[in-house]
Amino acid sequence: MNQMKIKIIFFILFIFIIYDLSSTISLAQSFTSPSYHIDWGNFNMTGGKKTSTNYILTDSVGQNAPGKYNSTGYTVKAGFQYAYDINYKFSFSIDNLDINFGSLTPNIGNTQTNIITVTTPTGHGYEIFTSENSPLTTLDTNATINDTTCDNNDCDQTISGVWTQNNIYGFGFNAIGINSSGVVTDIGTSNYFPNSTYFRQFANRQTNETPQIFMSENNPVINHSAKITYKINISSNQSNGSYQNNINFTAVPKY
Amino acid sequence: MPNFNITISPAQIEYLLKPNTTIIQAYDITNNSDQDINLTTEIISFIPQGNTGSVTYQNNFSDPNISYTLNNSDLILGQPFILKANSKKQLVLKIKTSSTAPLQDSYSTFFVSQVPNQTNVDFPMASGKIGSHILLSVTNTENISTKGSISLFKITPKIKDVFFSQLQFSGEVKNDSNYFLKTSGQITIVKNDQTLKEIKLQPLNVLANYYRQIDCQEISNCTLKGPFWPGRYTATLSFDENLHIPSQSVSFFVFPVSPILFILFLVGIILGFKKFFPKA
Repeated sequence: MNQMKIKIIFFILFIFIIYDLSSTISLAQSFTSPSYHIDWGNFNMTGGKKTSTNYILTDSVGQNAPGKYNSTGYTVKAGFQYAYDINYKFSFSIDNLDINFGSLTPNIGNTQTNIITVTTPTGHGYEIFTSENSPLTTLDTNATINDTTCDNNDCDQTISGVWTQNNIYGFGFNAIGINSSGVVTDIGTSNYFPNSTYFRQFANRQTNETPQIFMSENNPVINHSAKITYKINISSNQSNGSYQNNINFTAVPKY
Repeated sequence: MPNFNITISPAQIEYLLKPNTTIIQAYDITNNSDQDINLTTEIISFIPQGNTGSVTYQNNFSDPNISYTLNNSDLILGQPFILKANSKKQLVLKIKTSSTAPLQDSYSTFFVSQVPNQTNVDFPMASGKIGSHILLSVTNTENISTKGSISLFKITPKIKDVFFSQLQFSGEVKNDSNYFLKTSGQITIVKNDQTLKEIKLQPLNVLANYYRQIDCQEISNCTLKGPFWPGRYTATLSFDENLHIPSQSVSFFVFPVSPILFILFLVGIILGFKKFFPKA
C-alpha cells in the first residue's frame, strides 16, 4: 500500500516537472498598412463567427482578462466579443454613374434609371441625401433645362408631385424601393414618393439649396435598394446642345 | 459602366474628451467596385433633425474648438486620392480639442466622397458620398451627469380588444443636458401587481438638448400582439437610474369587445330567426 502511495507521489511530481520545463509560445497579432504597423497584444486561442443553417455564434476563447475596464481618461473593452458588436459595415453603392439620355425628343418624357443600395451596421438606420451642382446646363451656351415643378406646379426639392403631362417641362427624379429581384417594395422611399408618377427636383447647390433626404429607414438594413428614375421633358423650343450636371447621392447612418 | 461602391468602418464613433486632448481614430475605406475610384475626405458638422436620428448639414459650418487632421503620411484632409479596385485603405483621423473648448458636445460627420469626373462628358453624371458620424463630448469628468424627461408616452389604439388589438407603445425622450445620452431602459407592463412583460429599449442616442423617439429591442415598432386578458393594465416607461430621467406610467383597459359583439350577433340571429320563422 505504501509503495502505491510513493508511486502516485512520484507520478504527480513528474507531471509538475514536465509542465514546468516545457516551453510555451505567446502569440500576438499585428496589423499593417502602408503607413502603420501596430503590434496587438492579444492572446486569444480562437474567436470569431461560426455559422450553420439555423444559428450564428460569435465566441472568444482564451482571452486574457476579458471585460470592460475603466480608468481616468480611458475605457478598455478587452476581448474579441467586445469588438464584435457590429455585424455589418456601412456600405453604399450606385450601380451606374452615367445618366446618358442620348438625343431627347420634345414633348415626351425621356427617362433613365440607376439603382442605389445601402447596408447598415447593427443599431443604425440610414438616410440618403441628394443634390445637383446646377440645373442641366450646356457648357458652351449656358442654356438650361429648368428643374420640374410637376403637373400642378406643386413640387420642389422638398415635396414631390405628380408629373405625367407631356406639356410640363423640366428635369426631376423619382425613387422607389425595390427588392433584389427588382420588384417594387416602396421600402425606404414611400415617405418621399407615393408612387412612380411622383417626381421632385434635385436640391440646387448653386443657389445654396440644402441637400434633401429622399430615402431613409430607422432600423438596420442589409442591401436595401431603390430605383432612381431621372426624367427630362423638353419643349420644341429648347436650345440644341449637350446638357450636363453632377448629381450627388450621400449616405449617412442614423446616429 | 462606372459605378460607386464604398464601405466605411466604423459607421460612428463616440468619445469623451478632455479639453486640450488628442485622439487617433482609424477608418477602413473599402472600394468594393472592380474600378479604381478617385476619392476625397471632409468633416462637416451636423445638427439633429426630427426625432428618429436624422441629421441636417447647414452651410458647412465647423466647430472652431475641435480640429481634425489626417495622420496618414501620404494624405491630408481634402486631398484627392485613388483607391484601387477591390482594395482597402486605412485613413487615420486625428481629433484635437482646444484648451478653451467649451464643456459640451460636438457632432460632425467624416465624409469620403467621390471626386466627379466630368471632363469630356456631355450628359448628367451621378457621384457618391458616404459618411461616418463623430459624437464628441468635451468634459473634465468620465462620469457625465445627464438629465432628461419623457415628453411623450402613449399606447394605441384607444379601444383595446382582447383578441384583435395590437398594443403599440410610443414614446419620446427629451435630453435636458449638454451631453448626449443613450436610451437604456425598459417598458414594464403590470396587471394585478404582477409584471407580465418587460420590453427592453433600444439604446439609441439622444443628442444634447434634443429629443428622440424610443424604440424596442426584439419586438418591431414596440408593438405587442394579442390576445390579452380583459382588465386594467399599467405600462411604465423607465430608464437607467444614472440617466436621471423620471419614469412615466400609463394605465389602460382591455375590454372583451369582440366576444360581446359575437354574442350580440348570435342573439340577433336567434331573435331574427324567431321573428321571421315563428313556431306554428
